[in-house]
Parts: sequence; structure tokens; C-alpha cells
Amino acid sequence: MFDRKTIDSALSGSTLTTAQDSPFDYSPEAMLPQVKVLKIGGQSVLDRGRAAVFPILDELVRAKDQYQLLLCCGGGTRARHIYSVASDLELPTGLLAALGGYVPRQNARMLQMLLAKHGGLYIMTDDFEKLPLYFKLGCIPIMTGMPPFGYWEKPHEGGNIPQHRTDAGVFLTAEVLGVKRAIFVKDEDGLYEDDPKKNKEAKLLRRVGARELLARDLPDLAVERVVIEYLTRARFCHELQIVNGLVPGQLTKALAGEDVGSIIYKDT
Amino acid sequence: MSKLISDDGRTHIESPLMRESLVDRRVVAKTKREREYAILPDVTLVSLGGHSIFDRGKSVIYPLVETIAGLRRHHKLVLGVGGGTRVRHTVSIALDLGLPTGGIAQLVGAMEEANAVFLNALLAKHRSIVMQREHFWELPLYLETGMLPIVISVPPYHFWEPPPEKGALPLHGSDFGLFIHAEVLGMRRIIYVKDEDGLYDRDPKKHTGAQLIKSTTLGELHKHMPDELIIDREVFDVWRASKHIERVQIVNGTKPDQLARALAGEDVGTVITKEVARV
Repeated sequence: MFDRKTIDSALSGSTLTTAQDSPFDYSPEAMLPQVKVLKIGGQSVLDRGRAAVFPILDELVRAKDQYQLLLCCGGGTRARHIYSVASDLELPTGLLAALGGYVPRQNARMLQMLLAKHGGLYIMTDDFEKLPLYFKLGCIPIMTGMPPFGYWEKPHEGGNIPQHRTDAGVFLTAEVLGVKRAIFVKDEDGLYEDDPKKNKEAKLLRRVGARELLARDLPDLAVERVVIEYLTRARFCHELQIVNGLVPGQLTKALAGEDVGSIIYKDT
Repeated sequence: MSKLISDDGRTHIESPLMRESLVDRRVVAKTKREREYAILPDVTLVSLGGHSIFDRGKSVIYPLVETIAGLRRHHKLVLGVGGGTRVRHTVSIALDLGLPTGGIAQLVGAMEEANAVFLNALLAKHRSIVMQREHFWELPLYLETGMLPIVISVPPYHFWEPPPEKGALPLHGSDFGLFIHAEVLGMRRIIYVKDEDGLYDRDPKKHTGAQLIKSTTLGELHKHMPDELIIDREVFDVWRASKHIERVQIVNGTKPDQLARALAGEDVGTVITKEVARV
């Protein structure tokens, strides 16, 4: 009497809770592998204002007809302020993620206003499926770097700040689009062994494997820790490039595929 | 008012996290706390299985709906429902087509939402309402006015679903989504209504000798984690770092009195507990 009304499929009896369930020879298709997925740093770029932002936008405008650019924005000091206030109020991680999401959206809107005359287009995560249209029109879509997890962000044992912030969002954007390399535009020459703003002796790492980096267990990293973990199991996005947007020409070189800055790659 | 500081080319707002690298483990650890403010502590989330309950149709759903209609008068309830067989069908087609994990995650939510609408049709006269994610903060209003909110179970990870450690299936399904929903609102318990008497050491549908786990703690469960689970594995992982949920109960919805007894605090089905620091 309690028969299930099921559709026959290869997974119909599956609990979907065991990874070994899949009877498929899975070979994923890349959606938009040609796109350049770029993160524009919040604290590192946008909080510096015109002096840092304008030269970067000039480089992007010069490159825009040659490449399909998708800009994703970081948060910065206002996000840090939100996290401080929310932490002080003992609010849950999901709330910090939802609230922290406001700031990169503001930053994306700022860039849109500046790039409007060159086709800058503010998009929401719901507009993601319209990317082919925006690129066909020659636009520069600009969105938040934050993934849409919001209130559904997982708590974690390390602290109250959400693990998935704008670096994670940018990496996951590249991964789902099938883009091999995500470019992070920051204010340092790349990845250092410690925070170079506090430790002047910190050594720059030009090229480092994700597993190797995790094994070194550095206290500080230039990109969110989860991103390095995800990189080890990524299907498409196998490289993160960190470049210094304050050095003229570095971003242009990165867009051309040159190995400037630091590269963190998927090692096996 | 907070001070603005711009002595290094960047403009900062003075705060304990000013200038900090939020990736720095030492900085993140400063935000670590034992307790957390509970937003809606006296609410219970009840999750109805998609495959286990909904796909069974009228003979199981009608009695359960009647039970819930009666229970909502005595308990502050929030409902959620899984997607069931159509999710499995979606995933099997999507895997065969080679869609990326994030693409699969983007697709499956629709099937769960359809079940939420089904459930709402049956409970509407008992004041149910499907709560879209954008209406997150209307939940207290619904509860205060005696409504019975049905939330969207699958979390909004969408295209941004992280790559799983093994295989290609999205990890963050409806059981996980509802757990997080309950946790972020500071609820103390969540009840999963399935078609078995609880969690077994092996899938009881495949193994006749499977043993029911009546009562355990999260710590014990992690020491002897079954290979096949009746709810998303991710629930048990994220629960470790959670601050509010202290009781996860799995009951048999084909025996509707089990849900009533679980809500009354009885140890029916499987009860899994975790010690939680209270203010």
C-alpha cells in the first residue's frame, strides 16, 4: 500500500548519500571556457579609490574587445566592519555571510557606473545564465564575488567569519563556467609565505601546488583557504593567478596568459 | 562614530578586523565563540522526505497532513520537503549530459520547490504558506500570526556548488539545507520524517539484518558512520561546528503518531544528540 511513485532512472533506488553511487562515466562539458574570470580586490583595490581603480579599469577597457571579461568584486573594509559588528553581537555565521554580501554588491555597482560607457553591466547571480548574451553584445558583466549561500553558509570550527567569501565565489564561478584559470587582482605581487603588509621579510611564492600549499599549513594565505582545498578536486579551474593591479601592465600580461604574479595550481 | 583611517593608500573603517587578512587563521580564530545568539529558538523544523514520503502519494501524505494540521496548534513549526525521485532523474540525465556539478545543483531545486507547492496545496486551509528565500525575515511574522511556513529545502548554492571530494553529485541537498536553515535561526531541534523507523547501520531496504540505531550522540555516530545514510552526510559534518541544534530525530512518517510523539519530546525513531553550550 505504500508503493512509491518513482521514475525509473539509473539513480532511482539511490540514497544519494554515498559518493560511489554513480554508475556513470562522467565527463563534464565546459560551459564558457574562453571567459576571463577576474576578481577585483576589495581591501586591496577598491578601498584605495581612484588611484588604484582607474589604471586597472584602463587596462580592462583596452582589453575588452579582445577577451570576454567577467568581473567579480571583493568586499574590503566595510565587510570587515560588518563582520566585526556581527561577531560582537554573537550572530551566526550565516548572518555574517548574508550581511557581508551587501558590500561586494556595492563595489560591483561602483565599477558598473565607471564602466557603463564601455558596456559595464551590473548583474545578479540570477542573471548568470544570460552571460552568453552579455558577451555577444560586447558588454563587461560585473557581479559580486560572493557566492549566493547567504544564510545557508555553513558554520565552521575555525571562527565566525564565513569560509566562503568572494575568493570562493570567484573560483566557483570559474569552475562552473569551465574556465581553467581564475585571476585575482590584488595589491601585492602574489602569494607570500606570510602577510607581506606585516612581515616585510615574507617570501614570494611564484608557483606552488595546492596540495603542497595545504601541507605547508601557512598561518596566512592570499586567498581563502577553502579555495585551495577545492582546487585539489576541481574539474576545470586548475589555476589561480594572483597579480598586482598596482603595477601597470601586469593585469594585461595576465590576460594574455603570461605567468606573472603567483600561480597556485592543482597538483596531483 | 567609527573613524576612517587612510594612512596606507587604502581607506579603512576602524574595527577589530581593520587591515586584517581574513584568511589569516590567527585573525579568524579571534572571532571564535562558544555561544551564539539564538534568533528563533522555540521553533521546530520538520523535514518531510521527498523520496521516502512524497513519492508514496496519498496513502502516506494524507494522514501525515492531518497530523501536521493538528500539531501546528500546539507547536511552532516550520516545514520543508525534499524532491524525491524527480531529483534522482534530473541528476541521472544531467550526469549523462556531462553538466558540471554547479549546473546540476542549479537544476535540482526546482523539483523540491514543486513538492513544496504540492504540500502547500494540501495544507493551505491550515494556514500554510510557501516561503521563498527572499522572504527569509518574514518567518517570525508567519509564526506570530499562526501560519505554517513551508521553506524551500535545497540551499541556494546553485551554480556555486563546491566541487565534491568524490564523484560529481552536489553535496548540499535538501536535508542539509533544512538543517542549516534551522541552525542559522538558532532552533534546537530538527525532525526528519522518512519511511523507516530511523537511522540504521546499513540501508534496511537492501539488508534484512540492518540494525536500528535508537539513540546515539553525534560523537559516537562519527566513530561508526554507516556507509549508507537516510539523510545527507553533510548534515553530520556541519553539525560538528554548529552551535544551536542539540537534537536531530528521524521518525517514520508512515506511522503518523511518531511525528506527534517526537514533537512531544519522546524518544521515538532515532534520536541523535549533541551537547551545546547555553548562555
